[in-house]
Amino acid sequence: MPYRLELTGITKRFPGVLANDNVTFAVKPGEIHALLGENGAGKSTLVKMIYGIMQPDAGEIRWDGSPVTVANPKAARKLGIGMVFQHFSLFEALTVLENIALGMDSKIPSRQLEARIRAVMTQYGLLLDPHRTVATLSVGERQRIEIVRALLLEPKLLIMDEPTSVLTPQEVEQLFEVLRKLAAEGCSILYISHKLHEIKALCDTATILRGGKLVDTCDPKQETSRSMAEKMIGAGLKDIVRGEGRSLGQPKLVVSRLSTAKTGHFDVPVDNVSFTVRAGEIFGIAGVAGNGQNALLDALSGEVRSGDKDAITLDGFPLGLLDTTGRRKRGLCAVPEERNGHAAVGDFTLSDNSVLTARDRLGMVMLGLINSGAAKTYTGRVIADFAVKALGPASTAGSLSGGNLQKYIMGREILQKPSVLVVSQPTWGVDAGAAAAIHQALVDLAAAGSAIVVISQDLDELRALCDTLAVINMGHLSPARPTGEMSVEEIGLLMGGVHGQAEARDAVPA
Amino acid sequence: MSTDLIIAVIITVVGASTPILIAALGELVVERAGVLNLGVEGMMLVGAITAFVIVFVTGNHYLAILMAAAAGVATSLIFGFLTLSLSANQTATGLALTIFGTGLSALAGQGYSAKPVTLLGPLFPGLAADPFWRVLFGYSALVYFALFMVVAIWYFLKRTRAGLILRAVGENDLSAHSIGYSVIGVRYMAVMFGGAMAGIAGACFPLLLTPQWAERMTAGRGWIAVALVVFASWRPFRLLAGAYLFGLVMTMELYAKAGGGPLSAIPSELWAALPYLATVVVLVLISIRRDASTNAPACLGKPFLPSN
Amino acid sequence: MQFRLEKRREPSQAMVYATPVAAVVLTMVVGAILFSLIGYDGVGAVREIFLTPLTNSFKWQDLGVKAAPLIIIGTGLSIAYRANVWNIGAEGQYIMGGLAATWVALATYGMTGWWILPLMLVAGVLGGAAYAAIPALLKTRLNVNEILTSLMLTYASVQLIYYLVRAPWKDPMGMGFPQTRIFSEAARLPTIIPTTIVHLGVPIAIVVALVAWFVMSRSVFGYQMKVVGAAPHAARYGGFSENKTIWLALLVSGGLAGMAGMLEVAGPFQRMVPGFPTNYGFTAIIVAFLGRLNPLGVIFAGIVMAITFVGGEVAQTSIGLSNSATGVFQAMMLFFLLAGDILIRYRIRRVAPQAAGVAP
Repeated sequence: MPYRLELTGITKRFPGVLANDNVTFAVKPGEIHALLGENGAGKSTLVKMIYGIMQPDAGEIRWDGSPVTVANPKAARKLGIGMVFQHFSLFEALTVLENIALGMDSKIPSRQLEARIRAVMTQYGLLLDPHRTVATLSVGERQRIEIVRALLLEPKLLIMDEPTSVLTPQEVEQLFEVLRKLAAEGCSILYISHKLHEIKALCDTATILRGGKLVDTCDPKQETSRSMAEKMIGAGLKDIVRGEGRSLGQPKLVVSRLSTAKTGHFDVPVDNVSFTVRAGEIFGIAGVAGNGQNALLDALSGEVRSGDKDAITLDGFPLGLLDTTGRRKRGLCAVPEERNGHAAVGDFTLSDNSVLTARDRLGMVMLGLINSGAAKTYTGRVIADFAVKALGPASTAGSLSGGNLQKYIMGREILQKPSVLVVSQPTWGVDAGAAAAIHQALVDLAAAGSAIVVISQDLDELRALCDTLAVINMGHLSPARPTGEMSVEEIGLLMGGVHGQAEARDAVPA
Repeated sequence: MSTDLIIAVIITVVGASTPILIAALGELVVERAGVLNLGVEGMMLVGAITAFVIVFVTGNHYLAILMAAAAGVATSLIFGFLTLSLSANQTATGLALTIFGTGLSALAGQGYSAKPVTLLGPLFPGLAADPFWRVLFGYSALVYFALFMVVAIWYFLKRTRAGLILRAVGENDLSAHSIGYSVIGVRYMAVMFGGAMAGIAGACFPLLLTPQWAERMTAGRGWIAVALVVFASWRPFRLLAGAYLFGLVMTMELYAKAGGGPLSAIPSELWAALPYLATVVVLVLISIRRDASTNAPACLGKPFLPSN
Repeated sequence: MQFRLEKRREPSQAMVYATPVAAVVLTMVVGAILFSLIGYDGVGAVREIFLTPLTNSFKWQDLGVKAAPLIIIGTGLSIAYRANVWNIGAEGQYIMGGLAATWVALATYGMTGWWILPLMLVAGVLGGAAYAAIPALLKTRLNVNEILTSLMLTYASVQLIYYLVRAPWKDPMGMGFPQTRIFSEAARLPTIIPTTIVHLGVPIAIVVALVAWFVMSRSVFGYQMKVVGAAPHAARYGGFSENKTIWLALLVSGGLAGMAGMLEVAGPFQRMVPGFPTNYGFTAIIVAFLGRLNPLGVIFAGIVMAITFVGGEVAQTSIGLSNSATGVFQAMMLFFLLAGDILIRYRIRRVAPQAAGVAP
């Protein structure tokens, strides 16, 4: 039996980067094949070539034994390749049905299409109301649309790009059931991830990429998570160094009954959130994306004010009515999730980006005029201390890679020595080396006596980093508990909340 | 008010609103595809002078309309090339297009300003002569074309696959691209359609309203059309209502003057300013209603920049 | 041979300055060709419009007088556009500034005193700023698009001139012409170079642009405008209020347009006439872009635009080319500039024909 998909010597070059360098591997029919690698290892580029979004500069793709050129996604679908993207290619203002119709290459009368959709949904237990508008659906439900859309084409190969990054552990288990069922029916699955325990649980084979090159093809069940991680990252893993016998100090940041107004149609506000972070403590907030994390960060940073001056206090001083500048002067700094356009201005130089948040704490303004020399000096220090790969303070923020920009942003805030630092997704999309550096910087800042709040969707990160954990779901924050006392299952249930079951009930089966 | 007067009012209003309606319908399709073309006024002027010259030379009104549409398409392609192929700023390019159309039409219209042409006659001359039925059948083909396009565009957007793809492109260009649709291609088609409609809307001025050429004779109607699209929350039938409302505002001076009484004492400059002030008021009213902006295409005015 | 656009790592500063120059040159070349193709004397048109105003020293004073309002309004617009606030109603704010100044001039008619002109200037600035406050209010309170409101108000302000000069402000001795009386001596802008028409507005324009340049490049105000325009979300994070910025952008650009209106009515016009709106407010949009939204660039762009205005008049008398050709040239310049923008972020690479990149 020929391989379902065979890649030989695939090479793809971008200006300044060799994204894929002579990659060769093959996927058998009915096999669940993991494509493993950290961010920037070239996984996405590779699958984009398989799906016809890009063309390889060199190499050969064979499909069921015969060489093919996948000119575009349409050609890929014609061959029988389906893909579920990490960032969903959905249209929020359109209905589920319209979204799926857009993904079909031939025109099918909408009634007939609806019948087929309902059939597929029942067969795989993917429940959804075809007439709902996508904007009203949860992230997990949106993923189901993508999967249904791919399955309607009866694919022989299904590519899943980081499918679990937005799901609760329970939703992940449901997804795995669907994938196993598909594989049993003979559909090959190319599963892209950097989560090792998932790959061990699901996949038959794993191909590991590093820096665009193929490192190894192995059987994940024969490997340990650590051995695969070392292949993925290259050097031995570095653990976070914590100070010995650390003890937590006085309460620094006290949030009591903080609520925000609902701003947009689909925003989730925070509702009656209370917690306390002590000096030296790293406080983690877990949760699935879109459960009020952004509203919480904005409310803490001062971008959105609640009107209650005592809702947020720092060392007993009420901050609730102060704007971002006032809070920064008092020692509360924040780093939002979105780097380009929120935490930094892509078109500005790094030096000008330092003026954005450090101008008052570091005296860069006199009589309404900006002291650009001071900004430049400070930026130089950030670049040096945090090993930011940039040409210098005059580089634009937009020219930095995601990881380097994040290091710069974290450095810009940390070197201001804030007494409270609130960060959202500190290592999202950042390579392992940079992530380790950022984690270490946060631990060091806490050791120096600052209180730190980390909002993240990455449970592994939170469990490794935080002293205390709470879970946010639909704007509500669970009671905080020491990290060691909470199991993954428990956190998963809190993340799903009642919400997860309610949505399963609401969905209309055929 | 007598029936005759009401009929006369309706006929004037329908005539005055037709160019705005046609231009706004074109812009609606363009915006639904995610493109903001502020050059409607300029394309209308190019259409107006083209139609005038053709009808002056050949006397053929339908040829004039066709050529005005072609001229509108040609002008819109400048905008399309800059904003779609070169990702230029849409707002600035639209403004440039209006400045260009104003200058070009004035240049081309040099020497035509005092020359008369004939208006396009009614489509059904027999019924148009009937004192009552003319209210339904007394209009020229351009008026029926506008009405037909309201229904056609509604059907296209709501019921056809091509319309669905167009909406998808305006809603999320990156997703549409990743599924495999040609975002730029769809947007070029939309921009060209908008150009054709603006050209025809411009043709309405010399062919339907005043049978002569005057520099800047569209007098900001293109901008009102752009505002109407917002007012109509990107829906064709609301556009129809909005355009007729504006037709009423624009022709109100006639009835005030004819009716006598205190209204006739209002200076004519205020009447002339009324459509513009009404546009501002309408924009205010629409923004007070909360849901208006949520219907805006999500990608409106943003350049399409696929990462790869 | 194929060409491909390739993203630059850093935006090219060289291209920021080179593309406006290239736009002017391309406009001259392509303009000459196009105008020849459609039956005009293309080369003559370009020569008269772009070169004669420079080579004929009698025209220099006209250049200064025409460039002054363009520079003042263009400076204001460059600040607003930096903040992503699309005030395109500068023409209306210019008109309201002119009307406010006229009102002062008529109210002080026959009086003398050094204070009349400064009072007119203040009235002009306030008039323009107040008219720009309407879009600002509607944008910040109700999120109404400022492009449409500022433009609609321009059309309305033109009607206001017509009304005022036809009825309440009409010159009693004007033989029925719709215009105000000529301002008294104290309300007329002095010329600064004897025997020319160069008035006080010309040096004021240069000072305005220089001050604006300093403020925009060095101050927190300038930083605020730029950061709100480049990334409103980041600006909010950095502690800058978007609404405050919209207000400032509209008040400054409206105030400067109003100032230009005052200088025009007290200088070249010396009375209010229906022909007062001369499209300076619209042309200043091109000036702001051609000057790369930088007040220093605006000075040069203002002069270039003034050249085309003066040259347009020259061409009209010398080779009988319609004045509207000027508008076509100006729009072409803006098209070329916008087309050239892509070169700031991308470079053009020649791509060798297929297969050359594939290893054997």
